[in-house]
Formats: sequence, C-alpha cells, structure tokens
Amino acid sequence: MIRIAHIAREFGRNLRRNPGTAFASILSLTLLFLLFDLFWLAAGTSDRFYQDLLSGIRVEVFVEEPVADSSVAPIKEGLENIEGVFKAEYVSRGLARERLTGLVGADLLVGYDETNPLPRSFVLTVEQDYLRTAALEEVERHVRAIEGAGEVHYSRVWLAKAENTKSIFLQVGLALGALILATALVSSTNNIRLMTRARAVGFRQMLLLGAGRLFISLPFIVEGFLIGGLSAALGWGIIFYGRTKITFSRIEIIFPSQDDIIMFCLVTALLGAISGYFGLRKLLREQA
Amino acid sequence: MKEPVFELEHVHMRTDRGGHVFRDLNLKVEPEQSAVIVGSSGCGKTSLAELLVGLRFPQTGEVKLFGETLQRRKKRVIRRARKKIGGVGGPFGLLPSLTVSENITLPLVIAGERQKLQRERLLRMLSEFSLLKVAGKYPENLTRVEYSLVQFARAAIANQPLIIIDEPSAGLDPKTYRRVFEFLVKVALSGRSMLILASEPIGREIPGAVTYNLVNGELA
Repeated sequence: MIRIAHIAREFGRNLRRNPGTAFASILSLTLLFLLFDLFWLAAGTSDRFYQDLLSGIRVEVFVEEPVADSSVAPIKEGLENIEGVFKAEYVSRGLARERLTGLVGADLLVGYDETNPLPRSFVLTVEQDYLRTAALEEVERHVRAIEGAGEVHYSRVWLAKAENTKSIFLQVGLALGALILATALVSSTNNIRLMTRARAVGFRQMLLLGAGRLFISLPFIVEGFLIGGLSAALGWGIIFYGRTKITFSRIEIIFPSQDDIIMFCLVTALLGAISGYFGLRKLLREQA
Repeated sequence: MKEPVFELEHVHMRTDRGGHVFRDLNLKVEPEQSAVIVGSSGCGKTSLAELLVGLRFPQTGEVKLFGETLQRRKKRVIRRARKKIGGVGGPFGLLPSLTVSENITLPLVIAGERQKLQRERLLRMLSEFSLLKVAGKYPENLTRVEYSLVQFARAAIANQPLIIIDEPSAGLDPKTYRRVFEFLVKVALSGRSMLILASEPIGREIPGAVTYNLVNGELA
C-alpha cells in the first residue's frame, strides 16, 4: 500500500532540496506552453476567419433550356432534398435582370422584355459542414441527377486554395504542437533526472528495504503532474492577463472553451507525470 | 514443517577479475537459528550479505530465502525477500535525505503500516537505543556510534524474521557494544534469525547461533 503521507513528504522534500531546478522547470515549461497557447489562439482565430469566408460561397444551379417555368417547382423540391442543402432560392429571368441592373447600375436589357436572355437559376444555401470540395462535388453529382437542373457554379479554385492553405496551417500546427509537447516532455524528464541523480544512494537503500519502484517513483510522478499542470495553467494565466491589457479592434480573437483549457492542463499534467516516471526509470534500473 | 530462513546450495561465485569469492558454499539457517560467519577482511562476508538481498547472484548454485530462489529476473521475489530482512552495515546504509526518525520508520512505511503503529514503535526504538535526542537529525550530523544505533533500530522496528549484521562492533565503543550485544541476544530469544558477519569472533554466546569460519571462499 502506498502511503499518501510519505508521498507528500517526499514531494515536499524534493522541492525543498531543489527549488532552483523546480523553478527552472516551471518557467521553461510555462514558456513552451505559452507558445503552444498562442498558436492555438492563432489557429482558432484563423479558422473562424476561414469559416466566415466559406459562408459567403454561392452555389448556383442553372435551369436547363427549354424547361417550362411550370416545371421549376419539382427542381426546387429535388434540390432541397439533397443532403447538405438547406435552402434553394429560385432566381427567375426577371429577378436576374433586376439583380444585374442593381450590379451594373443600368438596365442592359432594354428592348428585350419579351425575350429576356438571362438564365434561370437556383442559389443553394449549403450547410456549413458541406462547404468542402469533396462534399460540394457530392452535392453537384446529386444536382446533375435532377431532370432540368443544368450547370453548377461555385468558386472551385478559391475553395481548393483555401482548403490547401488550411491543410498546410493544420500540418504546421500539428508538427509545432508535437514538437513543443516533445520538448516539454524531454525538458521535464531531464529536470527530474537531475533532481534524482543526487539521491541515488537513498533509492538504493529504499530498494534494499523492499520498496517497489512505484513507491519510489510516485512522489516524482506527482511532482511532474503538478509542475506540468501548473505550467500550462500559468501559460493561460499570462494570456488571459494580456487579454485585459490589449484590445484588438479589427480581429476578434477566438479563445478555446473553458473545458478545452482544463483538458489541455490535464494533458500537460499527465505529460509531466510521464516525464516523472521516465526521469527515474533508468536510475532505478541501475540501482535495482 | 517450516521453510529454512535461508539456504545456500553449492554456491560458486567469482569476482569480476576471475578470482573465487565462494567455492561450493553451503549454508542453511532454520527458523529460530542464527549463523555467525567469521572471516578476515575481503574474504567475502559482504558479498554473502549481497547474495542474500539479491544485489549479486552466484555463477552456479542456488540462494533460497524463505523457500524462494533468488534470481536476477525475479524482481518481485527479491522485493518480497528484502521486506523480510533487516540490515545493519555492509550494503545497508541510512538514507541521507531522511531524518533519524524517518529512517527508522521506513520499513514500516514501505510495509504500509498505520501511522499510529509507526509512532508507537518509533518511540520504543528511540528509547531502546537512546536516540531520542537525535531523532530529528540527518545522518550526516550523527556520530559513528549514533549512525550504527540508528541502523540497529531500523533493523529491529519491523520485526522482520531475518536480520543481517555486517560487522556488529564496527564503530562502537565497548559500552555501546555491550548494549548492542544485549539487543542481539534479545532478537535471538524472540525467535528471529540473524546472520552476523564479523572480522573477529564476537566473543560472546548468542542463543541458537552456530559460528562458521569463512576461509578461501569455503565455510569451515
């Protein structure tokens, strides 16, 4: 049975004997996690920006000629039944003329009242989750299967470029995140290794008295857990403090949810616990 | 029938340079019995203690503790065996980062005993070995005599069935040695076993103890 009092005493002893190492450990981890948090904020904000841009995408479906105006209603119904399509707004020749006039500032079709050459179309409102190349291609496939529905237009090239940019950003983010977390793990492991090396004689004696590895490691695992969690919390503390001091008028900074921040602190605490275990493992093997 | 406390069967052990430490060493200590091994410095007394706590392993032969064979890979067996051994001197030392009180109670902490029991036994040990004044000191601040007495107190606190004592008189003045000897007799009378490793004959009779001479890696 592991004694909690023993763990607490050993933990306190570690901090008392190596306050400098513990402080350096917290400081370096806070800095690393701060970097990670800033990137998280940048990713969240750019993602929102990207979503805003996407929501402006217009998907237009042109009605084939010569489909009679009376047959337009079944096409609308068919379009609205496609998965991912929220609404299909019909744009008649007359409405198209009005919009063109609005755009250009003059009616270019004077004299064509009887033979308005503008095509009839539907403007589709697509659900946010479907504003992706693959999903829109699927929507387009369904549109083409509807009798009377013709060309489908949307900003394909722009969408592909935007998706590519987002993918690059995500990959860089993941690589950077992994690098920062790995650095945190290595740094924390090394700090604990430094703290424990001087206590090798004590560990040998504990092992001789029949103590298990977990009994010896647990105070360091707890220490790693607390240092990891505390550093992550400090990183967020600095950011939230900064938020009260700096205001951005043009960009709305998107903060992660409270649950995500708590989860992040827990993950870093877990990372610290793992580093506590690894920091001692080799030494205990040598001493066993 | 009870298992022997420990048993060495045809133990051969060589030094790193190839010389013999033990040649066909056989030794069995039954419960309530003790063994006193006398041998000159460097004859392998500490190696014998290290064999029994699983710090070293023989090239051939078997080392059994409480019926279980100690093997390098069987860490759990070794840990279980170590919990049943109290040690003084040789490979056993005090933890520099713990106070005298914490060092003495450590076997009970490892065994997961209740704090009340730990306090009771600690108080008894501190009184028995006259260590009350140094209870809060760290090992580096102890005299040689105090250091030895703390080791004895730690070896006695958990009532383990085997106590290994490497050089019981080391660093002790005659008066303290008499007290320690009384402790050894008390341990023997309580039915616990001891392995006493000494450079010179211990000079007095310990109940239930058999004395052997360790010469050239063999017991005589």
